[in-house]
Formats: sequence, C-alpha cells, structure tokens
Amino acid sequence: MLADEATFARLMAAMQQGDRAAANVLLTEAGLWLERYFRRRVPPGQVDDLVQEVLIALHAKRASWDPARPFLPWLAAIARYRWVDHLRRVYREAGEALEEDAGAQDSGEDGVLARLSLDRLFARLPLGQAQAIELVKIEGLSIEEASRRSGQSESLVKVNIHRGLKKLAALVEKAETT
Amino acid sequence: MNEPTSRADLIAALAENCAPVRRVRPWEGTALIIAATAAAAIGASMVFGFWRGMLAGEASPFFWITNALLLVLGTASTAALVTGALPQVGPRPNAPMWAFALLGALPLAAVIQLLRVPHAHLNEGLGDPDALHCLTSALAAGLVVAIAAVLFLRRAAPVALARQAWLTGLASGALGTLAFGLTCPLDGIVHLGLWHVLPVPIAALVARVIVPPLIRW
Repeated sequence: MLADEATFARLMAAMQQGDRAAANVLLTEAGLWLERYFRRRVPPGQVDDLVQEVLIALHAKRASWDPARPFLPWLAAIARYRWVDHLRRVYREAGEALEEDAGAQDSGEDGVLARLSLDRLFARLPLGQAQAIELVKIEGLSIEEASRRSGQSESLVKVNIHRGLKKLAALVEKAETT
Repeated sequence: MNEPTSRADLIAALAENCAPVRRVRPWEGTALIIAATAAAAIGASMVFGFWRGMLAGEASPFFWITNALLLVLGTASTAALVTGALPQVGPRPNAPMWAFALLGALPLAAVIQLLRVPHAHLNEGLGDPDALHCLTSALAAGLVVAIAAVLFLRRAAPVALARQAWLTGLASGALGTLAFGLTCPLDGIVHLGLWHVLPVPIAALVARVIVPPLIRW
C-alpha cells in the first residue's frame, strides 16, 4: 500500500533534517508513487528512468519543500517538470534526426517509443501533419514513400513534419507553463 | 529484475548522502530582491546624484504615478517569482500581467501627447537627448536586480522556467527603472511614459531568452 500524504510529509521533514532511514523509506515510497504517475504518461520502458530522475531531483531539491504545504503536489510538480523535459528531449531528437537525414530509416525501437509518446498529442495536430509524422517518423518510410502513400507532395510531407514537430514542441512548452 | 535493483542502489546512495538542509524560503528571495533594488538605487544615486527636487515638492504627478506603477509591477512580479520558485501545482497569480497592462497606459499617454505638441517640441520625445542615458542606466540597475533573482531561483526549484524568466525580466526591469528613476529630474509624461517604461519590456524579452538556461535544473 502506498504511503499517505501525512506519512510522506513526516518522512520528508525528517529527511530535511538529515535522517537517512527516513530518506530511504521516503524515496522508496516516492518511487512507487512515481511509477503510478508515469505509467499513464510514458512508454513502459521509460518509466524507471524517469522515476530515478525524479528521485535524484527530489533529493537534490529537498530544501525547496515547505513543511507548511502538502508534499504530494510538490512531488507531482517535480515529476511533471521532469516529464516535460523528457518529452522535449524526445521531440528534439526526432527533429534533429529529421534535419540530418530527411526520410532516413529510424530504428524500430525509436519508432515505437516515438509513437507511444506522441500518440497523446497527435489528436491536437492537423490530419496532414499527423499523417506525415506517422509515416516518416514512426513507420520509417522515406519522404518519397510517404509522399506516395499519403498523396501529399514530397515538399508538403517535409513541411508537415517540420510544422507538426514544431507544434508538438509548442504543446509541450504550453503544458509546462499552465 | 535489474531495474528495481538499480533503483534500490540509487535510493541507498541518495539516502546515505542525506545531510541536513536549510529550507528555501520565499521571503529570502523577496529580501534578496529588495536588497538588490536598494543597492541599485544607492549606486545610481552615488553615480548620478539623488534628485532632491522630488522631496521639495517639485516633481510632477506623472513622476509619482510612473514610479508608483513601476513599484506595483515590481512588487507583483517579485511576489509571483518567489512563490513560483518552489514546485507547486495549481493556478498561478496573474497580477504581474495586469500591472504590466496598467503600465502600458503611460506610453499611450506619451504618444498622444507627442502627437499633440508642435513639431519643434518633438525632441522632448523621440529625439530626447537623455533617452539613451535613462534607458541604459535603468537596464544596468535592473541587471543588479536580475542577478539577485537568478541567484535565488538557482537555489530554489522553479518548474515553469518560461514564466519565471518573464517574471525575472518584469521584476528587474520595473525595479531597476524605479531605482534609477530616483536620480532623474525629467518628469514630463513623454519622457517618463517612453523612456522609463521601455526598459521593462526590453528586460522581459532579454530575460525570456537568457534566464531559462541559467535556472534549469
């Protein structure tokens, strides 16, 4: 069973005082809470990396928690910050790969990860942009093949990928500031 | 089952390295920014000379209104900045946006005034010989405030970097201009409305670009 807010707050206050045993319990429990948090947001293979990133951040920024305020919203804010950072990295890598070699074949793993991460935001893109990104960045088709499959010109496929990735990045930025 | 083991190792290492910490408190950020503003004001007064005329009742109402609006914007931005320096969820105060919008009335009034004065007097506005001096000095004073804000943000844990960058620019622009404004005897609406307001959006735009990498963690 996961620890409740009061337990988390008590453990965190002790951790701020340098209590190692409390820190160990808190980080373990926070890890379980974060697993649930990220399970609905990122592909399964990325959950543990993100959980560990947040645990390191929690430890590094433990001085920023105010005992007068609840613990879980504080942890959720850090988790969200790391999640947005993670998404930004994924999209930036996708964009850079496109610029380096438009239409190059991505590895199957990258495609699956990209698909899982992008699916949640795809609904916000115009159909043409989503289709171009899906064909080239996820299915791994070349620009030429994607053009034939989608009925878009090659230039339009490139433009749609560029604009689509840009819009996805903007959506992530927006998510960070709201 | 490697992943749980590595996480357990990480947790053990983090717990082992768990020294007591001094909490980050928002009021410390406020105090730091107030101190930086005071330092900027004292520095500006030492370099350019404090304008005693304001205490002798020589200042126009525009002088007081402009500086009051800058103070309101600086205060609202500082309050939002120090509050947002700690991780939290939920709505964020939008008082800085309204304070900035209110400040926008001044350049509007200045432009209307400019359009009404005879051509010979236009140099009071766009050709103002003191404009560059006021603009650069206010930005220099704002830099002192911005450094204080960034130092505090680096110690804290901001999770909305873009917003914190805007707030840093608004606070430093407004408070820096206010600090410098204590030395400027030019109290016409055109001069104040243009050259004592312009540093604020400039500082905000520059901060939006420069600050995020400095406070990312």
